[in-house]
Amino acid sequence: MTAYPTRAPRWKRVLDSDRSYRLLTFAVFAAVWEVYGTFWGGLLIPTFTETAAAFADLLRTAAFWDALWVSNQALLLGFACAVAVGVPLGVLLGRFRLLERLTDVYLNILLVTPMAAIIPLLIMSVGFGLLSRVILVALFAVVMVVVNVRTGVRQVDPGLIQMARSFGASERQLWRDVLIPGALPAIMTGIRLGLGRAVTGMVIVELLMVSLALGGLILQFRGTFNAAGLYAVIAAVLIESLLLIALAQRLERLIAPWASTHQQGKARR
Amino acid sequence: MIEISGLRKTFTGQDGAPVQALGGVDLTVRDDEFLTVLGPSGCGKTTMLKMIAGLQTWDAGEITVGGRPVRGPGPDRSMVFQNFALLPWATVLDNVAFGLRLKGVGKAERTERARDLIAKVGLAGFESKRPGELSGGMQQRVGIARALAVEPQVLLMDEPFGAVDEQTRRLLQEELLAIWEANRLTVVFITHSMEEAVLLGDRVVLMSARPGQIAEIVDVPLDRPRSSDVGGLERSREYVEITAHLWDRLRDMHEEHRAAPSEQAVR
Repeated sequence: MTAYPTRAPRWKRVLDSDRSYRLLTFAVFAAVWEVYGTFWGGLLIPTFTETAAAFADLLRTAAFWDALWVSNQALLLGFACAVAVGVPLGVLLGRFRLLERLTDVYLNILLVTPMAAIIPLLIMSVGFGLLSRVILVALFAVVMVVVNVRTGVRQVDPGLIQMARSFGASERQLWRDVLIPGALPAIMTGIRLGLGRAVTGMVIVELLMVSLALGGLILQFRGTFNAAGLYAVIAAVLIESLLLIALAQRLERLIAPWASTHQQGKARR
Repeated sequence: MIEISGLRKTFTGQDGAPVQALGGVDLTVRDDEFLTVLGPSGCGKTTMLKMIAGLQTWDAGEITVGGRPVRGPGPDRSMVFQNFALLPWATVLDNVAFGLRLKGVGKAERTERARDLIAKVGLAGFESKRPGELSGGMQQRVGIARALAVEPQVLLMDEPFGAVDEQTRRLLQEELLAIWEANRLTVVFITHSMEEAVLLGDRVVLMSARPGQIAEIVDVPLDRPRSSDVGGLERSREYVEITAHLWDRLRDMHEEHRAAPSEQAVR
């Protein structure tokens, strides 16, 4: 910053921020959508303004908030389970080579299997209740968490482990002072990516398994050819996931600030 | 005092063939001596240092520090690493206090001692910075302060200035001399620089490779304190002669290896 003889004027800096570029692309997107919807949309593609109006209406209905609440119960519980199971599991796999060898195949299977395929299986064994939705959300999220945490633990600099040993660190101290903090950035990344998958799981389970809550609303609007309403619900899901991801990112920066200071402090201007 | 006798170690190489890293090393390091160890890469000097630190096992022989046999890391020894090995998430203060924290020293006391040492290595004012915000030279000052904070009897330094630029390296050498001259302790200092070995050491241990063995131990009869006039010292006749002698020996070692590659295979 000090390298510049004079600072750019305030309006210029505001205009040059990431946010204004994001707003710009959004405005272009909305305009194209509006034009397309007006001239070629027909019955099935609403315009941007119609969707926005439907979204505003949606926010005023009790049904929407109920749906949001019910959906998020599964999301919250399932994601919490995924983190509670995924983080310790990933840590163990990262630290003990034998465990990793034993489980690697199954993790890869989980990573590439289309989770939607096991929905019928879940329904047959657990039924239609909250439990099966929670399990599916957890299954969607847990693999991302495990894989990232495992990588994080394994990537902890062996030089640091040796250093701690040279100062007489016990196994417990090694975990507390070196391995866990060293893996923290990757753990947070795993949690953020897992969250994204959890949202996917939440919607898919409601679309394919139990027509209920947000997924149920989507199906209902589709059934009545209420295109604007359908788009509005989808927009609501998008907005929720964006908010959640932003929150996770902020948390990541708060908990592991050293991991991002390099790029942020130095690369940016 | 460090006593090393009959120290041997054979590793299994990548092709499965055994590689003799240390082939029977005998060495005595006197109390409060600054010993530098010089040798071509692969001569086992770092392996030997790690064994003294208790980080590496050996096949035969014995190491004692202050009369006690080495069975692992201990509070009487601390190490300074070539790549600094600082915790990137911890502040300078917490990095310097790390060894004290592991030993269970209370927060107030370890903070005070860490602050003391940070000032000693010239980093006062940087206590709350993280390693990523420091230059390489400053990072190694943190590494030195961390090693000294636990008040060891022996300081083990593994090419500590190998990863910093030339000017910084010279400054760090002078600073290390000044610190050591003010507060003596036993130092084993690994380096691949002849100049550094002569400038810092009371004696220079010259090692040869395959198998790692001590080829020669050279006394460095230069006056102390040396930190006040490093430039004059480097122009002195003894300094020039000893460095020239070390270079002759190192060059011979290279030529021997080139002349007789088959001999290693037989051994």
